[in-house]
Amino acid sequence: MSQTDPAPVPLRPPEQVMRLARLGSLHQCRLSFMRVLTRRMAREGWRFARPVFDFDDRGVGHAVYTAQTPERTYSLVAFGHDLPPEMRSDRVIATAWDATFTLFDGVPGPAEIDRLARNVPLQEAGRVDERSLSLSRANRSARLWEEVVAALAEGRQPDADRIAEVGYLMRTTAVYGSGKFGAADYDTIADRPEMRTPFQAEMLSVWLTRVFQRDLVNHMARARGGDRAVALAPGIARRLGIGNSTGLGLGPFIVNHPLLFNNWIAAREEAIARVRAVDRATAAEIALFRQLLARSGVLVAQWRSQHPIQRAKLADLRADLAALNARLEADDLTGPRPWDRLIDWSQTALSLEGQELLASLILEPYGPLVDDLADRMGDTDPDAARIDGAMPVSRARALIEDNYGWALALDWDAPENCARAWYVSAEKLEPRVGERFEEPIAAHELPLAPGRDAAAAHAALAGWPGDAPLAAFLLRHPEHRFAIRRAQIAARAPYAEIRDNTIAADMLPIDLLRAKLAFFGATQFDPRSDRWVRICMYGGAPYPEELRPETADLWVYPEVAP
Amino acid sequence: MTFSLSEIEATARKAARGAGYSWGMAEEAGRAARWLCAAGLDGCALLAAALAAADGTDPAELAPRALDDWHWRGGAGRLCPLMAGAALSDAAALWQQTGVTMERVIVPPLLLPFAALAARALGANVTVRWAGVTAVTEGRALAVSGADDLPTGPADVSVAIGGAMAAPLPRHTRASPRPQDWEALTALAARTYAPATEESRLKGAGAGLTDND
Repeated sequence: MSQTDPAPVPLRPPEQVMRLARLGSLHQCRLSFMRVLTRRMAREGWRFARPVFDFDDRGVGHAVYTAQTPERTYSLVAFGHDLPPEMRSDRVIATAWDATFTLFDGVPGPAEIDRLARNVPLQEAGRVDERSLSLSRANRSARLWEEVVAALAEGRQPDADRIAEVGYLMRTTAVYGSGKFGAADYDTIADRPEMRTPFQAEMLSVWLTRVFQRDLVNHMARARGGDRAVALAPGIARRLGIGNSTGLGLGPFIVNHPLLFNNWIAAREEAIARVRAVDRATAAEIALFRQLLARSGVLVAQWRSQHPIQRAKLADLRADLAALNARLEADDLTGPRPWDRLIDWSQTALSLEGQELLASLILEPYGPLVDDLADRMGDTDPDAARIDGAMPVSRARALIEDNYGWALALDWDAPENCARAWYVSAEKLEPRVGERFEEPIAAHELPLAPGRDAAAAHAALAGWPGDAPLAAFLLRHPEHRFAIRRAQIAARAPYAEIRDNTIAADMLPIDLLRAKLAFFGATQFDPRSDRWVRICMYGGAPYPEELRPETADLWVYPEVAP
Repeated sequence: MTFSLSEIEATARKAARGAGYSWGMAEEAGRAARWLCAAGLDGCALLAAALAAADGTDPAELAPRALDDWHWRGGAGRLCPLMAGAALSDAAALWQQTGVTMERVIVPPLLLPFAALAARALGANVTVRWAGVTAVTEGRALAVSGADDLPTGPADVSVAIGGAMAAPLPRHTRASPRPQDWEALTALAARTYAPATEESRLKGAGAGLTDND
């Protein structure tokens, strides 16, 4: 184990971290929720089985996959459907899918399977109960599914380059958890150690969905090819992830959960600071870092996007990797504080994509130093939402000045600074973002512009005596209650607030989506517009029969020939 | 059919917003309904009754006119339990010595979640009395004495630190609102949704390229 210098490295300040452009450049890391799950499953020796797999030649039927922890069992219940191509859409407005899923708390009996079969395929239009921990759906990739089934049915493996190009055979869309459509509230499972890190139920459901994807494609190939058919080779199967297509629904989440988002960012920032404080890196740590940098290069090389914004960012990232490799020719990392020096260098030498990839990558050799932080990423303060109304007005003004200074400097009446409005459409009850001055949406605006609201509260507070209690101010100004609550949360949680304008004319919703999805552990971000992104999850991850401590952690980095 | 408590909270929040409360107050309403359901009371019925009684009145008219002497009266002669409740929680540290009395609170049980917030902030039990009922909370659990069914009609209320938790009500993790209350809340919540337009369908949700390849 390397030596940690007693002098700590300060956390990167929120003014630097919490900008939309940087949040929109985040990469997965050791603390990403998928990797926390696979490490735990391997460490605790979870056992997996497929007690039911009953499908016809068209892929209609159901399956049950079980995951047995040391204390309990979770089951993914998967339903396969025969979806006409014209109904296949990843948009949240879709009403039918190739496959639908729920993660069941326990092992469902026949009566429960019957109940789920009447509801899970309907997704938002159905109801589940407290035995369900998630509700989700997936469509086959029209690009790849048929090619793979045809190849396997003819007794040959599919083209590996085509697999790499698309990355998955099925693409999930919404993965609902925590109380949605009748499912169990997170509160009811939050005391289970395996659920302490956020979104573990959802991540488990997606990992098992990837197993289902492989099993179903093998089943369909066998149904078509009979004895000639072969199963997907394990090496090709491992490269496959499960896709996801995500729209605006995720964006408001990180604004609506300021303390939770703070805890994610704070955990990663603390991890970065701990590694930067390492005084000397061991030869093994340096070697692992160099190996994973090379493997990251493969991941980046495989990353494809048609979107002009992401194409430009990818070009920057590839140049960043070249610059980083050149730097590492000159610096063998054996000097003092090698990671701190590397991060310092990156802040002027690399684009935001490269800076954040590097910040994630330096954590890799230091699991024992940083992995404990995953347990701190939940929102564990039930009283955070209470407003302290005894606080004097002068203190509230100072809090807003400290945490929303950027917003106080902005002219919120200028059309370009308030061009957008977030709202929920009556049609699908999903968040959307529109043009305030072109569409009739302002009256229905969601409170997703904390900067504007803080500036308005600050202006209203200016007319009050500094020693008046906030309770008196809020009695007269309930319209500022939302902003005051956030300002008090931000006072305790430095990374709670995005320090950018979420209703600006040039705001990119995909930056919000990327930040959240990177914490999930997603890769291959492929924006399809400024508000809709496709990603790959669990590409390279072990399947249940391959899961061991030595395969459970670094799977995200593609293997390279030595 | 039962609902998750997060469904209760989300619908209650939107209903309060739809009824004309600010988003910050609507958040209080959502959490209050959730707390009541967890404590075993019908949070949806209580909130639906309060929102119905207040509908059409400016919430400011139903707020305490001033905190000052800890005897609260609303401008319209009635007090909204959400407005008074939020003030009760906000100002907990300021009234803990004196207690608070309130005149004619619409649906007094809706004050209980706010009394609970005050109890947790102060680290002490809080007692709420109205219409012959005494309710005590330490922040999560609730104990009630003096009536089998909580009176929900408008009443004068007193709130003070102290009181003993005799027999706390059992906690609940699900809620079963009456259909008429759930419909009332979802109807108010629907006021917060923007009517779909072709433009929003195309632009707002983010399509642009084909998504079925």
